[in-house]
Amino acid sequence: MTTAKIRFEHVRKDFLVRSKDGGPAQRFTALDDITLDVRTGEFLALVGPSGCGKSTLLDLLGGLTTPSSGRILLDGKVIEGPARDRGIVFQQYALFPWRTAAQNIEFGLDIAGLKARERRARALHYLDLVGLSGFADRYPHELSGGMKQRVAIARSLAYDPEVLLMDEPFAALDAQTRETLQGELLRIWRRTGKTILFITHSIDEAVVLGQRVAVMTSRPGRIKQVIDIPDELHSETEDVRSLPGFGHVRHEVWSLLRDEVLKAQGFPAAASDGERLAKAKELAHV
Amino acid sequence: MSNLEILTLLELAEGSPKDRARQRAGVVAAATGSLVRWLGVIGQRSLLLLLFLALWETAPRLGLIDVTFLPPFSEVLAAGWQLAQSGELYDHVGASLLRALSGFLIAIALFVPLGVLTGWYVGLGNLLSQIIEIARNTAPLALLPVFILLLGIGELSKVTMVVYSCAWPLLLNTIAAVRQVDPLLVKSARTMGATPSQLFRKVILPASLPTIFVGIRLASASAMLVLVASEMVGAKSGLGYLIINSQYSFLIPQMYFGILGITVIGLTFNAILEALERRLMRWKAPAG
Repeated sequence: MTTAKIRFEHVRKDFLVRSKDGGPAQRFTALDDITLDVRTGEFLALVGPSGCGKSTLLDLLGGLTTPSSGRILLDGKVIEGPARDRGIVFQQYALFPWRTAAQNIEFGLDIAGLKARERRARALHYLDLVGLSGFADRYPHELSGGMKQRVAIARSLAYDPEVLLMDEPFAALDAQTRETLQGELLRIWRRTGKTILFITHSIDEAVVLGQRVAVMTSRPGRIKQVIDIPDELHSETEDVRSLPGFGHVRHEVWSLLRDEVLKAQGFPAAASDGERLAKAKELAHV
Repeated sequence: MSNLEILTLLELAEGSPKDRARQRAGVVAAATGSLVRWLGVIGQRSLLLLLFLALWETAPRLGLIDVTFLPPFSEVLAAGWQLAQSGELYDHVGASLLRALSGFLIAIALFVPLGVLTGWYVGLGNLLSQIIEIARNTAPLALLPVFILLLGIGELSKVTMVVYSCAWPLLLNTIAAVRQVDPLLVKSARTMGATPSQLFRKVILPASLPTIFVGIRLASASAMLVLVASEMVGAKSGLGYLIINSQYSFLIPQMYFGILGITVIGLTFNAILEALERRLMRWKAPAG
């Protein structure tokens, strides 16, 4: 049996939503019966329609909220609050604008109480790892979106977490920068051997990055299916997007997602199959 | 491109020893050109000011306006020179500066921390919001008689006035600053294991600083306004006293000099605060 780095056991998360007319608060289930193992050193991509509770899942893993029922284990221990054994990379970078690139990377080390000299050395090492050696003393407003996200990744890696949680980190970047960073991330993953849970709404991105892709349902969010991605699609030298296997896997994920996307958009079930298909294609950005 | 990079490029460009002489001539020409441009910019910016001073000087001399009520600018300066020589000027400026600065600094020391706490603890904010709203809509000058009744006409009532008038811009801006801190930055720091006190020192405070500074600048303007008014009502020194006393004694050039003194102090305050702000907030993207 392979060891599970992160284990979700029947995780459920409810929110109380106050109704508009001031009536009693209603229970809204964001996540229901999530059961999933992320193996040690694995790169798992989680894909789902918007509003499927991806971000709630991340908040739970980050320890920012607690599940309504079920439990989340990291290395067999229940997660209790935020800690540096999990590094989170956000879509909007979340860099501190008053700190330079290097000082941003030092933040977690500063919190951990490392001495200034060691902090600096580690920050420079991780800046180098993400390909930003010459940019230590630049402030975030002097960096491009792609560079900011590199700094954010370096900041999360610098305090050496057990797992890296990434919440649509490349969604705000242009297509070219996104592809470059996807390649960089795979390189960093191979080099550091971290366990990565990568949340995305892009099927392409999930297939390119993940060793496995978990497809989520919408409202409430459940794990619909987990798909293994063949190793040939993770070649470092080939353009994997042009391989026939890529299209095949991509279609498989897309088929799983189609109904969920429709459901998330509230498309009437009575519509004809042709209409539903057209709508689904449009929504899935095919 | 940063200035440093441009400098490096210039050095590289000038590196070849071939035509140094021609380059040197070019450099001199460029320097002269930039001096002329610089003077041009100064002239353009100060054109209206220079025109205004010229009008001030000539209008009374040409009889366009009564010399008794508006003496020429040079006479005002001469009156100021006399004040400076008698040592009276330093007493007045010193008294005003001491009151303004001590009131301003006391207000910062009291109300910035209070504002930070009020912004951070929602309960405290709810408790204080009504009082703040009432107090800040009560013009400080309307309360001047109350302060004089309770605290006398000495330094205490004037410094208290300054503190009171600085309190509201400081408090409101600090509260807003703390509440406006990007929740994502807080979330990010929390996931990195920041304790509440670390979160406060390393995220909330630096993120709030720009807006707190807006309050500080507003407070400094308010401090001068209130100070002059309270010195006019009941004081034996200070620039406000100098102005009103000169008017009563019909020393009109001296009165105008007092007004100029207040302008200069206000400009100096603002320049110091601007320099401090630039220094503390080098990380900000230049506006525009």
